[in-house]
Amino acid sequence: MLWIGLHLPSLSLEAFCALRGAAGADEPVALQAQHQIVAVNAAAAARGVAVGMKRATALALAPELVLGSADDTRDGAALQAVAHALLAFTPTVVPVPPQAVLAEVQPSLRYLGGPVRLWDRLAAALAPLGHRVQRAHAPTALGAWLLARAQDDGLPPRALARHPLCPPPGTTPVAEMAAWQALHERLQGLPAAWLLQAAGAATDTMLSQLEAMGLHTLADLRRQPRAGLARRFGPAVLQALDRAWGSAPHPLQPVEPPLRFASQVELWARADHAEALLGGAQVLLGRLLAWAAARHARVQSFSLLLHHESGLRDSSRGAAGPQVSRLDITLGEPTGDARHLQAVLRERLAREALAAPVLAMDLVCDTPVLGPPPDGELFPSQAGQREGLLRLVERLQARLGPEAVQTLAAWPDHRPERATVCQPAGGTLPGAPAAQARHPPAARMTRPTWLLAAPRALPERRSRPWLDGRPLHLLAGPERIETGWWDGDPVCRDYFVAQQAGGPLLWVYRLRPPPTDGSPGWFLHGRFG
Amino acid sequence: MGASFSFSPTLPLAFEPPVAAPDRPEPPDRPDWLAEPSRLHPALWRVRGGQGGASGPAVEGAVPTGFAALDAELPGGGWPVRVLTELLLPTPGLGEMRLLAPLLRRLAAQGRSVLWFDPPAELHAPALQEMGCIPGGCLVVRPPAAAPGPAGRAGRRAPPGATLCWALEQALRSGQAGAVLAWPGAAARPEALRRLQLAAQAHEGPVFLLREAGAAAQSSPAPLRLQLAPAGPDELAVHIFKRRGPALAGPVHLALQPVLSERARPRAQRLADAQARVAAGATRTPGRPGGAQPVPA
Repeated sequence: MLWIGLHLPSLSLEAFCALRGAAGADEPVALQAQHQIVAVNAAAAARGVAVGMKRATALALAPELVLGSADDTRDGAALQAVAHALLAFTPTVVPVPPQAVLAEVQPSLRYLGGPVRLWDRLAAALAPLGHRVQRAHAPTALGAWLLARAQDDGLPPRALARHPLCPPPGTTPVAEMAAWQALHERLQGLPAAWLLQAAGAATDTMLSQLEAMGLHTLADLRRQPRAGLARRFGPAVLQALDRAWGSAPHPLQPVEPPLRFASQVELWARADHAEALLGGAQVLLGRLLAWAAARHARVQSFSLLLHHESGLRDSSRGAAGPQVSRLDITLGEPTGDARHLQAVLRERLAREALAAPVLAMDLVCDTPVLGPPPDGELFPSQAGQREGLLRLVERLQARLGPEAVQTLAAWPDHRPERATVCQPAGGTLPGAPAAQARHPPAARMTRPTWLLAAPRALPERRSRPWLDGRPLHLLAGPERIETGWWDGDPVCRDYFVAQQAGGPLLWVYRLRPPPTDGSPGWFLHGRFG
Repeated sequence: MGASFSFSPTLPLAFEPPVAAPDRPEPPDRPDWLAEPSRLHPALWRVRGGQGGASGPAVEGAVPTGFAALDAELPGGGWPVRVLTELLLPTPGLGEMRLLAPLLRRLAAQGRSVLWFDPPAELHAPALQEMGCIPGGCLVVRPPAAAPGPAGRAGRRAPPGATLCWALEQALRSGQAGAVLAWPGAAARPEALRRLQLAAQAHEGPVFLLREAGAAAQSSPAPLRLQLAPAGPDELAVHIFKRRGPALAGPVHLALQPVLSERARPRAQRLADAQARVAAGATRTPGRPGGAQPVPA
């Protein structure tokens, strides 16, 4: 068995800072719980703020300090996202609140390409979540957790390959023995209080008792008689000690990703305009993609629910303004690309006018697209281009509206204004060349490239149509188009190719029969571009 | 070893060719792709170290225009890729689409799509089919007149066509379209054009900006600028007034895909000549390069 342990030392601080977005990354930030500081960032520590201080003391030291409240729900959601990200690699993932995630990787180690590749891929998968990670691996779950906590800085990946704690797959019993021995040696010097925390027995009396008995390290604990240890600290501590050492089995319940994704963030400050939502939205997208990776799925549509401040609704909407407004986002093709989703969401939010200030938001995804993602490609190919084009279209539509990007299709109708069908570009994009019949170029063009949206009436003088004060010369025609009597839009026209002074060719028509009441009978309908 | 050898033909990027084991017969087609890897895939090229220090793809991308007379005058022998090309025309509908028709046909054959930004009128699908390109391969982007945007919210008035410029830049940067045709109109301010010219470097294909004829007097970062003028029925006079290399003395006359039948064409020619005579007689000045030019007999 090979367990990896991830310890996230500043999880709650990072979860809080992520909501604030990129702005003010170097401001001092601290978290407080019950008027006591529980976490500080580097900038705050440089100003002398330390964990355990009173809130008033911290504010006196650094008046510009950004104070947030510690929030177990927020931390839990962040930890769950990390667990989901790990689920993409192995089904046995156990989140250990408040700050750790354990995963067993032995069965899939060969598939994942060995420990070094695994760490690289893990780091890439965890990078979007933006947490500092201390990592370790060990033959036991509890051992991995304790070592990760002790490891201030993870080993460089190259050193891992020769690490005695991590025998390569298919290894010899001698190497396995060496791994166990290395684990036991490393566990010896770790603080005994951590084991009590792992066993859930870390009350103040227990800790002071530990201190009073002079038991500082795990080695000290191991040296005590087992019966006495169980009597003084409870059987759970003894069991945890055995589990860490590997002499007792350690059943763990792995986490399972929910079938439906729903996650909420409470914004750090009231968001008055849509751009202020971006920081929170990015956190939610990171969680969404971690969940999708855990389910080996990709995302095609999701909804953002904005919870408005009830007292401060837009006055124009009055008291009937919405409590929650919903933003549905649907992509042309499922994707697992965080940057693309962020870009689409950013454009969509940019054109969204908020009904009222937003306090919190939910991201919901009910229908992930299951199945393996399409293969990556070494060289640019047609399929890759098509996907890239689709992303471009989605980005344009997110900002300009779906109607702004249209595809064309020919429609068999003799009426020129009905021969072209424009529809918003969606999942059925162009670029699938096999599906489209290609015509060889005609020897002579009979239809104009440019069609005027509304035919332009031309004055008639000396029984000829005039344009811009010059007569038009009819060169070809008439071509009669008389159709459409069945759908209430009948057309009866004689079309001519006319030449404008200088040479440009126009497509004009004359109504049939010519109107007798003086209304114009000639119309310009197109230009041969 | 066996597996890695079978993959090696797809990976000749910067590696030396694997030395064939003496007992292994050399594949017969191997010298071919080694000498010209671009035949295998256009994205492949061979580093040529040593003499001259020339490296990287030596391809100055250009797509043939389909008109031999025009190819001969254009640097690179065709429409340049990765840069802006300006087509200036007094009014839409002179034959500019038929000038681009061979290019559109070529892109349609490759299954690549064409992006049309804010065209001056509706595209007519049957005409596109007659030109030999696929209507389904065309994406028409028409930014709404007053699209909301971050620039508008910040209180500043967005310059005209800012949305179009944004969309155009996105399209060029993505580099996924076969060709981009844009009618920028008032959006073609000098700083916007410079930005688009930079964005076009990511675009593996020609980019055409179709602007009004008056824009010839303004400077532009586009390295190739052409002035189009009608030259009689189904003929187009193309004046290349900016290109890399020496300036061109006179316009190039191109015969476009015809609209008129054999019978109608002499009549149209006579009409054009008569109009030219009238114009010459009325003004007593030779035709300017921007206006309608008489066709040399």
